[in-house]
Amino acid sequence: MRRRRRSHIGLRAAALVAALVFALCAAGCRRGVSGGKALTIAINSGVEGDALRQAAKDYEQQTGVHINIAEFPYANLFEKELIDLNARTGAYDLIMLDDPWFPKFVSQDVLTDLGPLLQKHGRTAPDDDFVAASIALCRDPFRTAGLFALPYVGNSQLFFYRKDLFAKYNLKEPATWDDVLSAAKTISAQETNGAPGGGKVYGYVMRAAQGNAAVADFMPIFWAFGGEMFDANRQPTVNSAEGIAALKFMLELGKYSPPGYASFNADEVGAHLLQGTAAMSINWPAWISSFSDPAKSKVTGKIAFGQMPSAKNPGSAEIGNWLISIPRDARNPEAAMDFLLWMTSSEQMKSSAKRGNPPTRRSVFNDSQLVATFPSYPAQLKSLETSRPRPRTPLWNEIENAFGIYLSKANSGELSAEDAMNQANAEIARIITRGK
Amino acid sequence: MDNQQSIRPHPKPLRESVNLSDRTLASLLLAPTVAVLLALTIYPLIYSIKISFQGQDGNWTLENFVRMASDRFFISALAHTFVYAAVALTFEFLIGLALALLLNTHIRGRGLFRALLLLPMMLPAVVVGVVWRLMLNSNFGAVNGTLKSIGVNTDALTWTASPVLAMASVIAADVWQWTPFMFLILLAGLQAIPQEPYEAALIDGSSAWQTFIHVTLPLLKPAILIALLLRTMDLLRVFDQIFILTEGGPGFATETASLYIYRTAFRFSNFGYAAAMSFVLLAVTNIISIGYLRVLQTKEA
Repeated sequence: MRRRRRSHIGLRAAALVAALVFALCAAGCRRGVSGGKALTIAINSGVEGDALRQAAKDYEQQTGVHINIAEFPYANLFEKELIDLNARTGAYDLIMLDDPWFPKFVSQDVLTDLGPLLQKHGRTAPDDDFVAASIALCRDPFRTAGLFALPYVGNSQLFFYRKDLFAKYNLKEPATWDDVLSAAKTISAQETNGAPGGGKVYGYVMRAAQGNAAVADFMPIFWAFGGEMFDANRQPTVNSAEGIAALKFMLELGKYSPPGYASFNADEVGAHLLQGTAAMSINWPAWISSFSDPAKSKVTGKIAFGQMPSAKNPGSAEIGNWLISIPRDARNPEAAMDFLLWMTSSEQMKSSAKRGNPPTRRSVFNDSQLVATFPSYPAQLKSLETSRPRPRTPLWNEIENAFGIYLSKANSGELSAEDAMNQANAEIARIITRGK
Repeated sequence: MDNQQSIRPHPKPLRESVNLSDRTLASLLLAPTVAVLLALTIYPLIYSIKISFQGQDGNWTLENFVRMASDRFFISALAHTFVYAAVALTFEFLIGLALALLLNTHIRGRGLFRALLLLPMMLPAVVVGVVWRLMLNSNFGAVNGTLKSIGVNTDALTWTASPVLAMASVIAADVWQWTPFMFLILLAGLQAIPQEPYEAALIDGSSAWQTFIHVTLPLLKPAILIALLLRTMDLLRVFDQIFILTEGGPGFATETASLYIYRTAFRFSNFGYAAAMSFVLLAVTNIISIGYLRVLQTKEA
């Protein structure tokens, strides 16, 4: 009897503790939600997140507003945000989006027009310090009308080349794609055993894995050769004479790229540069810090950053900016706007830049302290200012996928340049007809 | 406080105190599970059937099913899926059977072999994808590195970058990972076969090959069919390894139906079409499975 009694008392005590813990937790959680003193931002996990975590702490100290950071890997971020915004959950006060996604989000009418919010801060437009090419991405229609985002990270492609090898063979920084091809021929022919670990140095390394990779590496060639994805009536024109010539050039350059490049992504391109087994490539600025890191790089101090080569047209890099938007169903758009303006201020962007995120403000690119740390900044600013966006359409993911498949088919030897471009054009036309 | 009640020396069981029949109690206790199942499987299933018959604008339509017939990407993804499944299944079955027969005998160290053989199956498919991707890297990978060191020219061996080699590569990764599963089931089947038929065969003077064809195979048939059935279902919906290893490339050469369905839903946000394609894949898988089950039942009867 006694024993049983005692065990009941024990049970009660346990239940009491559990109830207390639950009550405390509930109180704690409620403070976060209904106090209005918290914002939630969905972001890409990576260097962008590293910079934001510190910024969020500073912001809470200054204003008392707590920032919850929800990080997602790049592969899931788009679907996560699109589904949440369409379900109108209001879960996020701010979202980070890759600029090619922007037309899709705007077409679904799930973003807040920042104009009225900006007016409450006494402004009619974002300040002129932002790079124009970056702000243009945040407007719909492109460049001209309503503002639905602010640019936070200012990536654009850069052209990398080995300055030691260029000096060795008396080659000038390539200004045109023809220069690139002849330099690639020279280096491939001469450097048959010049790699740091022994083995061949390939003149060029590109990536042509189906999807984003092949398209990203092809667009600068396509644009320089005078190719355009769409005509004035939004009909695809990738199989124009210019487009086919550009793909033929890509296949020619591919002969001097390491075998297997039809399955390469950015990682393989970066690895070839770091291992010293390739002399030129296009890549994103995120790789720059690795080039000077002796633990990762066998070519420290040997890689230079040039501008995108030209052909018929001046060279243009593809822009790839991270934008920040406020969802239409955000619970507290005004507090979100305050934080958005704060995090994109030059002071905050500078501390984000120190952690490896290229800025979208000219003053930050020109900051002497930062230029000392990041010698590529002048080249990056120039590349960003002359960059071009991927074609602005809500159907871009599907179009890029189809285009990438045919580019990859051409590079893996399955289709000729003409066949690949004709079939790509037909497929893109189908996607557009269906999307109407 | 209700001290009197709760420290009562012999509390009656719940059933007695509220007078429930066994049957009612059982359904009461099952109710939470049923509710969870309804919410997590039945509702999404009905929802996906619904959206497969809706266009992007929400109207009722058959366009998702009509589109499949003329969608070159879907048709070739489906063809890749069948090629992948058929070739991988054949190799997994033959190698698995050979290993099971070998390790069913009393050779030394068979315990160790059995344990080692099961290792690949324990790995998550994503890990297998990453490991094979690294090994098959044409420039820095272990496979070409080894071949190079014994003097083979590896320039043409761009494993994941040429259409035919890429398909062979993803199949090889699957065979490596899932042959142990075949082996395991077939070995269990072999060990369940009684000794008497073998003794009878021996007395009748049957050769080893004859014994295998006329005794082992027929008796092993149920195990073989179960193993083939389970692997076929898995192979037809393969996703993770290929997604990591080739992402369906180069140029769609290894894109399977699951990958294309994933892209349609989560990249192109067309859930209706993705749902419709999923049901077609499900129907195909079911038809094949029913075929296996028919054979299984007739043989047992």
